[in-house]
Amino acid sequence: MADKPQPVRLLYCAVCSLPAEYCEFGPDFEKCKPWLIKNAPEIYPNLLQEANEKEAEKVSERLQSVGISAGGADEAAQPSQPGETSSSKKEEVKRLPGGKIKKKEKLEVVIEKVVRNRRKCITVVKGLELFGIKLTDASKKLGKKFATGASVVKGPTEKDQIDVQGDIAYDVVEFITETWPEVIESSSSLVLLSYASMLHFLYSLVFSFIAQRTIKFGMTSV
Amino acid sequence: MFKKFSSEEVSAQNQVKASVQRKIRQSIADEYPGLEPVLDDLLPKKSPLIVVKCQNHLNLVVVNNVPLFFNIRDGPYMPTLRLLHQYPNIMKKLQVDRGAIKFVLAGANIMCPGLTSPGGVLDDEVEAETPVAIMAEGKQHALAIGFTKISAKDIRKINKGIGVDNMHYLNDGLWKMEHLD
Ligand SMILES: [Zn+2]
Repeated sequence: MADKPQPVRLLYCAVCSLPAEYCEFGPDFEKCKPWLIKNAPEIYPNLLQEANEKEAEKVSERLQSVGISAGGADEAAQPSQPGETSSSKKEEVKRLPGGKIKKKEKLEVVIEKVVRNRRKCITVVKGLELFGIKLTDASKKLGKKFATGASVVKGPTEKDQIDVQGDIAYDVVEFITETWPEVIESSSSLVLLSYASMLHFLYSLVFSFIAQRTIKFGMTSV
Repeated sequence: MFKKFSSEEVSAQNQVKASVQRKIRQSIADEYPGLEPVLDDLLPKKSPLIVVKCQNHLNLVVVNNVPLFFNIRDGPYMPTLRLLHQYPNIMKKLQVDRGAIKFVLAGANIMCPGLTSPGGVLDDEVEAETPVAIMAEGKQHALAIGFTKISAKDIRKINKGIGVDNMHYLNDGLWKMEHLD
């Protein structure tokens, strides 16, 4: 009898069930992309680049509005300490190319402003659950306070986040620290970054907080 | 064939008697000599072999709730794609060009030009009415199981119309039926 052939173990996509190389022909390639970037980057080497390029396009489209907010934010950044700023800058840059994944260990609330078609934007609040805050409650409170739509959605790294319609990035910090005193602001700093070779402006407002533990607030507009 | 296939189309499900089991085993071994060394693992003599009869004279060979082969009436047994992916070299292969992929995955039969174009590959040894693995340009794994209507040589010569019937393809009903309860 001939040698036993070993069965090939093929990587099937966890999203659409097809072999990873066929995701592009599957029912919804867009949905597979986050999984592919994580699990089969060698099959679609262009995915990560493509994702970044898309970002870059969006950014260049709204350069103007970013410029305006940058002006306003500058004043808020007055009390920043130079040493701290550069260290948080480094962290942000390192994290992003990896797909914003490794945030689990860090006890921080991240506020992200996502701009759509120039003027419309969404403020994303991530990480509240790390402080034992119920996200459904929080989203209701946020919606009420800012008279807008707020909902709990699954984030790109399968963690829940709150999406709030409109740009409330500056007010939301105050609101959070007032509503949930366990999240305390200790100092704040503003960082303006350009990232990789892309036209990629990472516009980030970093607040550090100290409760019983060290806590950070980051605001990024990606 | 499996486009809208689901467990609802099962009309009977029988554990077959030993003589039939031997017959099925023998015809699979004849059709796929490359599988012979692992046939004892795939179709263990001790586990019951279930033949699931479905509509349109379709039979599924199921072991431990996993569909492994199918055939129509008394036709040749063909492996499911999940099984073929494990043992990719048990069947002859034909390759379609990249442009044909989306049609094959929508269930279309394979047209001759998709096999004869620069992206396609034809194995001239393949006769008519033979089960084949359908590969695709730029891909490593099979995307469908086909049954040739005409020989590979005729596909090359005639070069129009349907050359291979698409029996089973990625994401069809049989693909989704990973387990049969
Ligand atoms: Zn997929």
